[in-house]
Amino acid sequence: MTLQTVAAAESFIPRRARAEVTRRVFFYAVIALVALLFFVPFIYTLTTSFKTLPDAANVTFIPHPWTTSGWHTIWTQYDFKTYIKNSVFLAVVVTVCNIFLGGLGGYAFARLKFPGRELLFLLVLGTIMVPDQLRLIPVFVMLTNWHLIGNFSGYILINLVTATNLFFMRQYFLTIPKDFEEAAKLDGAGYFKTFWRIMLPLALPAISALVILQFQGTWNDFFWPLILFGQGNPAHYTIQLGLAELNFQYGVLWPEICAGSIIAILPILAIFLAFQRYFISGVVSAGVKG
Amino acid sequence: MATASHVVSQPRSSMLGARIREAGWGYGFVVVPIVVFGLFFVYPFGYALYISFFHWGILGKQSGGAGTFNYAKVIHDPVFHTAVKNVLEYTVGVVPLTMALGLSLALVINQKIHGRNFFRSAFYFPSIASSVAITTIALYIFNANGLFNHIIGSRTPWFQNAPTVMWAIVGLNSWTSAGTAMLYYLAALQSIPTDVYEAAAVDNTGAWRTFWKITFPLLRPAHFFILVVFGIGALKLFDQAFIVSNGLGGPNYSTYTPVFYIYRTAFTTFDFGLAASAGVVLFVIIFALTLVQRLTVGRQEAS
Amino acid sequence: MRKRLGVILGLLIAVVLLAATAQAGTRGANVTNVTLAGWSSGPDEDTLLNQVVAKFNATHPTIHATFTVINGDYPTAMTARFAAHNPPDVFYVDSSVIGAWERQGVVQPLNTYVKSTKFDTSAFFPKLLGAFQSGKTIYGFPKDWSPLAMEVNKGLLGQAGGKAPTNWSTLLKVAQTMKSKNLTPGGAPICLSPDWARMLAFVYQAGGSLSSITSPAAAAAVNFYVGLLKNGLAETPTQLGVDWCGTALGKGKSAIIFEGNWLLPFMKSTYPNVQYGVFPMVKDKTGGNLAFTVSYSMAKDSPNKQAAWTLLSWLVGKQGQTLWMSKGLALPSRKDVKAIGGRQNFLAAAPYAVGWGFGNPNFSTAYTVMNNDLTAVIAGSKSVSSMLSDIASALKGG
Repeated sequence: MTLQTVAAAESFIPRRARAEVTRRVFFYAVIALVALLFFVPFIYTLTTSFKTLPDAANVTFIPHPWTTSGWHTIWTQYDFKTYIKNSVFLAVVVTVCNIFLGGLGGYAFARLKFPGRELLFLLVLGTIMVPDQLRLIPVFVMLTNWHLIGNFSGYILINLVTATNLFFMRQYFLTIPKDFEEAAKLDGAGYFKTFWRIMLPLALPAISALVILQFQGTWNDFFWPLILFGQGNPAHYTIQLGLAELNFQYGVLWPEICAGSIIAILPILAIFLAFQRYFISGVVSAGVKG
Repeated sequence: MATASHVVSQPRSSMLGARIREAGWGYGFVVVPIVVFGLFFVYPFGYALYISFFHWGILGKQSGGAGTFNYAKVIHDPVFHTAVKNVLEYTVGVVPLTMALGLSLALVINQKIHGRNFFRSAFYFPSIASSVAITTIALYIFNANGLFNHIIGSRTPWFQNAPTVMWAIVGLNSWTSAGTAMLYYLAALQSIPTDVYEAAAVDNTGAWRTFWKITFPLLRPAHFFILVVFGIGALKLFDQAFIVSNGLGGPNYSTYTPVFYIYRTAFTTFDFGLAASAGVVLFVIIFALTLVQRLTVGRQEAS
Repeated sequence: MRKRLGVILGLLIAVVLLAATAQAGTRGANVTNVTLAGWSSGPDEDTLLNQVVAKFNATHPTIHATFTVINGDYPTAMTARFAAHNPPDVFYVDSSVIGAWERQGVVQPLNTYVKSTKFDTSAFFPKLLGAFQSGKTIYGFPKDWSPLAMEVNKGLLGQAGGKAPTNWSTLLKVAQTMKSKNLTPGGAPICLSPDWARMLAFVYQAGGSLSSITSPAAAAAVNFYVGLLKNGLAETPTQLGVDWCGTALGKGKSAIIFEGNWLLPFMKSTYPNVQYGVFPMVKDKTGGNLAFTVSYSMAKDSPNKQAAWTLLSWLVGKQGQTLWMSKGLALPSRKDVKAIGGRQNFLAAAPYAVGWGFGNPNFSTAYTVMNNDLTAVIAGSKSVSSMLSDIASALKGG
């Protein structure tokens, strides 16, 4: 709640300058502390990746002694280069499909009127409710019969668009004022052109969120890759399947796993840094005025 | 509303044509998602519904005929009752906590603060760091001799103790998923026109009032979305319960969840009929709760 | 506009199809491909098994075997493969689930192959082979195994008199001495998992068994085991703040633990400086131990059964198992294959250790009930007798 006070206080700076400074210091102290708390697992992972296996059993933040053998092992004994390539390929394809199909579907559910729309939307919501454990066998049998297992095709097919993404895009389109479409309609633009040229660019913040979350979701997915193509051919392994290779029942290779986790985090971090800058207030309202 | 008046001013016949055309485009836009959902969600669910009336094993139907015996078994199974109770407790805890945390973080970094990019990344970090690392460090900090117990002076193994484990998972998961909620809220905050705030500033409305009177209600579609998606996700809790209990749902059934029940019944007992009936019961519970949300929080958001 | 939409959709489909055709298997002429699936307990094991398989391929030019590691969720992945009638030809089966898998009709009985190739089954320890038999039908051959043993910290044992316990009463005495001398500060003399996979050994030592789980002997064993925890001579890994008893031994939080052969590579890699000894499991009325074992079994849906049998019988045969034992990662299930040194106190249990699975198809389901109830008994919220009757009913499939 301090945050709100601080934010609004900006306009009163001349009158209450001293109280303001105290508040500001307090505010930054609090969010810096929260940030530190949020960083701890990452720092721990990073330092553990430089430990020896016996040392990794001690939960300390400073390796004793320092070693790069964990990094060396995963880079030489396991084919993490291939795993990363596969993960990037899947994450990009699935994310692009989801933006396009989720955006298009979300736009239709938010704006276009067609009989049965509410019913179909309920069906979309319903799909979120079905647990994976329940649909695993029928989906696997279906994909096996279609010869879509053992490679990426079946995985991409079942992930072309998720209900969560479609739902999210619909919710965002609902918040965009209708004036834009009115203007486009007067110019004679069709529904697809309105979606492609007007609505999608306006949804940039939502698309950014979706890119980050979907890329990360596919990147971190373990269960479906394991079942659909993670059995036997390391040329098809993703980074998560690679990490699972290091996880043994008695004797987990902590330094190697941590090094692999760091590698696994970096691309998501890059995606996050690239797309978070599109969270800029006023994309929509600026458009209204213009 | 503007659309309606605009359309009304046109001649009747072309209005009908426009409607048909709009409907055609509408169907065209949703056909791929609907086919994907139909094949990979609706069909498997229908299949589950079908086999829930039989004794069903790995290789298909077994002797014993058709009937509602699986439902009778699930509904009277005390373990399933415990599982439902556990997951409801968890959901009531984790959803509001995650939403409040996510919204607070989004509000903080939606402001013109120094190092905004840094804080954005920092707040999002628990969401991207590997779950193995997060779970390990959480288990360590909260174990009997851990840092947390040192600070509060107790010996409670929070993640292996029946009365506390679900709340420990609530804490862990709201911390790791707050970043995701933050992203959704952050995106939604961008769609609020800045002139709304300018007007509030001119009126000299206080920050707290502005938030409750303007920002919070304008975020209604986002609230509805996050409530529904996170609520459903919480009711399907599986991964952390599985990891924390070494795949047994313990201690003393305290981490047994309905999805865990489905998993054990299907992949350990191979009683797919019973697992399917548990899945259908869970679906009914989730569907009913979502419908309530749609009729309350989601009511005014539909156009 | 419709055109453009079509183009974009077409591109999407093209991407999917491209990915689909990216991998198409090629099969050489006159060579039968056989797949072998299992999980992995360590990187050394992966390497070793691949060497064993390479040796098989080198000596069998008409068969090509490939080993697949399924790490993560082996039972689920295998169930899906069975349901789709597309399982690996040969695969690992844990003795605790063989009964349930067999009842589902996915595991191939091997008797006809044994007969037609005159495969000698008498070389296997009978109890271990028995873990994969139902009556006279053989559903798999044990690839290796491990019983429990008692591992004791040598330095702490020396300070407590130097004599390792051999039965329940000397175990109590040694633990009490260690406790009174405070040899394990911040811990407890014994580490006991709240797990029937340890406690059942004590039940058999008391003369009980899983099939007579409501007997007084079983109750006596439970009371002894839980009693050690209640009177502070033992603590669970949870109470000790560790993930399992191996770590408790390594960190010196406990001096006495009961674990299997898997402890040895763990201690060597993680706690190389801790001096400990491996002793036979304690006894009470009789010797009691559990045999944790894994088989090579064949899929009923395998399209290459003859080749699969050739692979399977070679792997569990003398030559295959000798290679497999060369690094001492596990214990031999055959009497004619030698274990590497330092394993005699494990091997001594072979004649009497009971296969973990107990020939009960409901065992893997009942195991969930057993351990959940046990945690409740330890916490004091459930009585021993009601736990034992819960278990009896779960074992009957109730």
